[in-house]
This record gives sequence, structure tokens and C-alpha cells, in this order.
Amino acid sequence: MIRKRIINFLIKYLPGEIAYAHCDIPCGIYDPHAAQVGAHTVIRMTQLLNELKREGETKAEHDIARMTQAKEEHGSLIEDELGTLENDYFKEEHFREYPELKKLIADAVKLSIKTRQTIDMVSAEQLLEAVLKIAEIFYKTKNLEPVRVKSPYPTEREIVVYK
Amino acid sequence: MLLSKIKVVGHSMEPTLKQNKIVIVSSIPYLFKKPTIGDIVVLKRQKYIIKRITAIKKEQVFVIGDNKKESTDSRNFGWIKKDSILGKVIHIG
Repeated sequence: MIRKRIINFLIKYLPGEIAYAHCDIPCGIYDPHAAQVGAHTVIRMTQLLNELKREGETKAEHDIARMTQAKEEHGSLIEDELGTLENDYFKEEHFREYPELKKLIADAVKLSIKTRQTIDMVSAEQLLEAVLKIAEIFYKTKNLEPVRVKSPYPTEREIVVYK
Repeated sequence: MLLSKIKVVGHSMEPTLKQNKIVIVSSIPYLFKKPTIGDIVVLKRQKYIIKRITAIKKEQVFVIGDNKKESTDSRNFGWIKKDSILGKVIHIG
């Protein structure tokens, strides 16, 4: 009984952290594209939420709910994709060769969380920039030459591809 | 990691630890006793990972996920220094 109380107390009040139980079958297929699409979607949803006009109260609430959900889901997608790249693809030698990589990933995850919590275009722009830089490093580790091109998305921001 | 609450993300420790399971992890047991085969431990790589110790040699441990078909572990990244062990799972919520 006392043990159970102590455990419940610990579960309630100890600061929480995450440990990864990797579930990937090591297939060698990694790509920063999904994170980039996620970051563009976060920007687009932030734009749409900022531009939303309240012509009909119910419709506005409905639209806000859908846009917020899309922003939330794509923020989670970014965090998952970056987690996979960090844990499964990038190796020690990559982190040595690109000493800024670890901080870039950490910053991107924090920005993603912030963009989910807020309707903040500045954070959304910073998130995309961090994801683009990570994508550039990814392609360099593959001995491919990364290049920024204008995306075909309504965000009208850039996306990283390779030559 | 004197005492920490950890959320499990991923499926490699199933069926023992399912996705989102909360566990209590502590380094205190290893003050009195060395890590042993069968212990579920949290280790520091680029991030925290949670695996089971399946073999031990001198200052290194070999860790494998209970869900062997879907786990990236010492079979991929090799032996890990014992220093990387942050703590042992002492309670599964």
C-alpha cells in the first residue's frame, strides 16, 4: 500500500523524459522530405489561421478546428521524422562533421512544439529554416549537392532538393 | 539519473513495454549491484534508448529489444559502454 502510494507520487511529480524503443526494421531508407512538407504545412496553417474571417461563427469554429488539427499533426510529423533521422540515420561521424547538427535538431523540435502551441508565423518560419538546414546536411552526408528551390506550395517558401 | 519518470516511445520493447508506457528508472540499484543480464535499462546514445541487457563483458553491455523483429539495438550498433547506462527500470506503470 505504501509502496503503491510512493510510486503514484513519483509518477505524478517526477519530471518526465522520453526513452526510445526503436521500432524500425533497419531498411536504410531515410529522407528529410516529409519534415520539410510538415514545416510548409505548419506555415500554411498558421497563415490560414491568421487570415481567417469570422463570417459565420459555426463555420469559423469548424475551420479553426480543422486547421489547428492539421498544424498539430504536421508538427508531430516533423518531430517524429527528425527523431528518426537523429536516432537512426545520423551517426557519430555526422555529428562530428557537422557540429551544429545536434543543436539544429533540438531547436527544430522546440520550434515545432512552439508552433503547435501558438499561431506564430515567426516561429513557423524559423522552424522551416531549421528543417531546411537539416535537409541540406542530410544530402551532404549522402555526397549529394543540396540546392534550395522555390517550392510548388502556396507557402511560396523554399524547399531543399539535391542535384 | 537518480530517479526519473520515463515515457517509452516505440515498439521495440513490446510486449514488456508498450508504446507510451510510463516507467520509473533509477541509477540507485547500480550503486549496490552491477548491471546484470535481464535488466531493462535506459542508455544514452544520441537520445535516451530503452533496451534489455542480454550479455555483459568487462565494461560493456549488449542490449536487445524484447521485440527482436522490430528493434534497432546492439545487433546494429554493437556493444555499449556500461558508462552509457543511466539507470535501471525499477517500476513499470
